[in-house]
Amino acid sequence: MNLPAWEEVEHTADWSLRVRGADLRSLFENAACGMVSLLGDAKPTEITFHRVIEVSAIDTESLLVEWLTELLYILEEDLIFSEINVKQIEGNTLIGEVSGGPPDQPPMKIIKAVTYHLLEIRPTDTGYETVLVFDV
Amino acid sequence: MAVHKQNMKRISEFLWEIPATYRHDMKVPARLYASDAILEAALQDASVEQLINTATLPGLVGYALTMPDIHQGYGFPIGGVVASTTKEGVISPGGVGFDINCGVRVLTSNLSYDDLEPHLATLATTLYRNCPTGVGKGGGIDLDAKDFDALLREGSEWALENGFAEPQDVQRTEEQGRLKAADPTKVSKRAIERGITQVGTLGAGNHFIELDRVDAIYDEEAAQAMGLADGNIVAQIHCGSRGFGHQVCTDYVRDFQSAAQKYGIHLVDRQLICAPFNSPEGQAYFGAMCAAANYAFVNRQVLAHDIRQSFKQVLKKTSLDYRLTQVYDIAHNMAKVEQHEVDGKRVEVVVHRKGATRAFGPGFEGLPEEYREIGQPVLVPGSMGTASWILTGTLGSMEQSFGSTCHGAGRTMSRSKAKQTILGNKLKSELQSEGIEVRAGSMPGLAEEAPQAYKDVDEVVRVVTGAGIARKVARIVPVAVIKG
Repeated sequence: MNLPAWEEVEHTADWSLRVRGADLRSLFENAACGMVSLLGDAKPTEITFHRVIEVSAIDTESLLVEWLTELLYILEEDLIFSEINVKQIEGNTLIGEVSGGPPDQPPMKIIKAVTYHLLEIRPTDTGYETVLVFDV
Repeated sequence: MAVHKQNMKRISEFLWEIPATYRHDMKVPARLYASDAILEAALQDASVEQLINTATLPGLVGYALTMPDIHQGYGFPIGGVVASTTKEGVISPGGVGFDINCGVRVLTSNLSYDDLEPHLATLATTLYRNCPTGVGKGGGIDLDAKDFDALLREGSEWALENGFAEPQDVQRTEEQGRLKAADPTKVSKRAIERGITQVGTLGAGNHFIELDRVDAIYDEEAAQAMGLADGNIVAQIHCGSRGFGHQVCTDYVRDFQSAAQKYGIHLVDRQLICAPFNSPEGQAYFGAMCAAANYAFVNRQVLAHDIRQSFKQVLKKTSLDYRLTQVYDIAHNMAKVEQHEVDGKRVEVVVHRKGATRAFGPGFEGLPEEYREIGQPVLVPGSMGTASWILTGTLGSMEQSFGSTCHGAGRTMSRSKAKQTILGNKLKSELQSEGIEVRAGSMPGLAEEAPQAYKDVDEVVRVVTGAGIARKVARIVPVAVIKG
């Protein structure tokens, strides 16, 4: 049975997602897509930007927080993604590419931040898994 | 190991204790203010575990506490209060959280509900139009870099100088709306870029503006001092430091990850990240946090100005003679340097309140003259569509809880469950049929904040007043709700 790339975990006040990936690259991509899915069904009306994102951190968990935080920063410019790709993770540095444009409908919520709450990336039989908590 | 009621000692009807021996890494015992029902609910999620985690922070004194609006957060539980000494203790950006100085302001009026009722629908629409809400980057007042720097340093004083405040508003704000330790040089360029366009915006989520009717008065003397009269209209604002505060927290939670290693601080949860208060890192965060706190005071002040303008627009052609005066403005996500008595000695501590309100008792010299004898006003918003409370701090809160009390109702239902079980549109019509005007940008967002998703605020208030850490002044009920 294929487990979903991300699924919601019950949390009383904020949003929490369990994310899986066959490797770190797909884990980071799935985490980004899962986070963006919390905003609703908005799609870009046209593609107006393409950006390369490079982030570094002290360890893999921090790198995940940094990567998602960069994406939130772009979302705050009233933009939405059409594509999110993690090109490379080497050591504690990530290179990603994203594109998108203005959303066809307003996002349903503000995600204030990505937290470190009990954050741990664990190896599993099929790759990697982690649980993220977002402050909303 | 999940914590159970059997692991706790009942200290009094509304106070429970988990001894420091419960877990090897606890530095102090943990205490919960709760009724039986509230405690049972708290044990259903991770909030009590999170309380125990906060009891492991370095330099703590007294107890790690939670208020009865306790619920699961990230790092600290919501409703959490801890005090760490300035000498040997820490400051935790993760503990304060992303919405630095999220708080509540209440304005009162001499208008009766009956006076206002014919204009209520128009007023709700005007407030929605004049007070920028929702997601997005801008919408706030125009500021240049020099203005913004002054705003971060001076807080409400800046708002007064720039025509957004009345002198009494400033007097009736926690710390007179200015934390003097604010240091904008410790704030990142990105925080400034995000914050400069958002001053005077409400945001989304659980933030709101509400008009309420005073439903009952419990303390005539205090109500009179605050200008509250039965049947009259009051306005509430609930919001914080917007993208500016979020970015300050994000920056320091990231930067402190290596600081914890440097100072040999072992963390049970990385979101509880902290640094010694008296370290360069701790002082840098404190300066930035105080700047974010000043930002939030100004944000609520500008929204108060927008509310006054809206009343003026709507009521200008009537013969109503009215005034909107500030009751108080209070923070509920903040770390403050305060003096408290611990084991018979005065100690300077950094009190972290995460979803908890300062509640200083009578006699505290930082209060405006008219509140010196009654104690500090405490503003406790309920869930949307239900009652809110105005309380005062007590000598009990000074003795028991580092001058702290509850901040709201506290959630019991996850946002996703609320959205699955409650339809925003249906909720809006239900509230409208109860005579509450609702103006909201997002219907799913409205559903997430449905009253069913929260505890009963009356029960929360019963606990804090029963435990002696607050005193009832007035209960207010909503007549108009504005949300992002």
